[in-house]
Amino acid sequence: MEDKSISKHLPLTEATYYILLALVTPKHGYAVMQEAEEISQGTLRLAPGTIYGAFTSLEKNKLISMVGTEGRRKIFQVTETGIRVLLGQIQRMEIMLQSAGNNFDLWQQVTAEEE
Amino acid sequence: MTNEIVTKTKWFWAWQDEKEEIWLTEMAHQGLHLDNVPFPGRYQFKSGEPADYVYRLDYQSLKTKDKVSYLQLFADAGWENVGEMGGWMYFRYKVTNGEAPEIYSDRESKIGKYQRVMLYLIIFLPIMILLMNNATSADGYGLFSKILQGLAALLMLLYSFAMIQLIIRISKLKKTN
Repeated sequence: MEDKSISKHLPLTEATYYILLALVTPKHGYAVMQEAEEISQGTLRLAPGTIYGAFTSLEKNKLISMVGTEGRRKIFQVTETGIRVLLGQIQRMEIMLQSAGNNFDLWQQVTAEEE
Repeated sequence: MTNEIVTKTKWFWAWQDEKEEIWLTEMAHQGLHLDNVPFPGRYQFKSGEPADYVYRLDYQSLKTKDKVSYLQLFADAGWENVGEMGGWMYFRYKVTNGEAPEIYSDRESKIGKYQRVMLYLIIFLPIMILLMNNATSADGYGLFSKILQGLAALLMLLYSFAMIQLIIRISKLKKTN
């Protein structure tokens, strides 16, 4: 079972998920915007207000922390708790994927309706 | 024509930020580009060539030390900060491919903006209650106290209206996908 201190942060929104993933290596806000667009294959385009708000609340919840500056930019990185939350989210998504694949009858119906 | 300062007076309430954005964009199409908001309801424009700018308003109560990195993030993303008034931050973006960009890319964060505005208004609630108390308990015969009572009632009405408008805005955002 999931640790309560981790599960209270779950599920992550799509934006928060990609932000945490991008911050596995230290980055400033705009670098996160670019990275998130790339790793999400263009499905997520983050706007600056959303990034700023997410950084503020993630920092408050100690999932990311400021590790330095680059000129006027703050550099953030995911914390140990942040990594565990990220892993918890990935585990949940794996379960979601498996649940679709495992139920063969249901899966066939879903794909048949698509055609 | 070049960089002449044009000042306009127009009032927008706190819940009319989208209307204000549209108005500022229309001004830009006429060649009036926002340069400063010296006080509420007063807008200073620099006149120049008409341009396709999109204006967006954010609401933040930032500490001075956080403002620098906040503005830098917006600048990196292509947003020019052109004014600030009582927590409202005015940004503009030069539209190049006909796409109107946003400063919030999801519902949750956009709701967050209006929640911050509400939080700011809630701080005034004790003052409003105190004012109402004083106004209603004041001697009701003098002209001065009549004016004070009327003023307090008007203020309270406006305050409630602002709160209701913000609640409506937030609940509408929560419903849309």
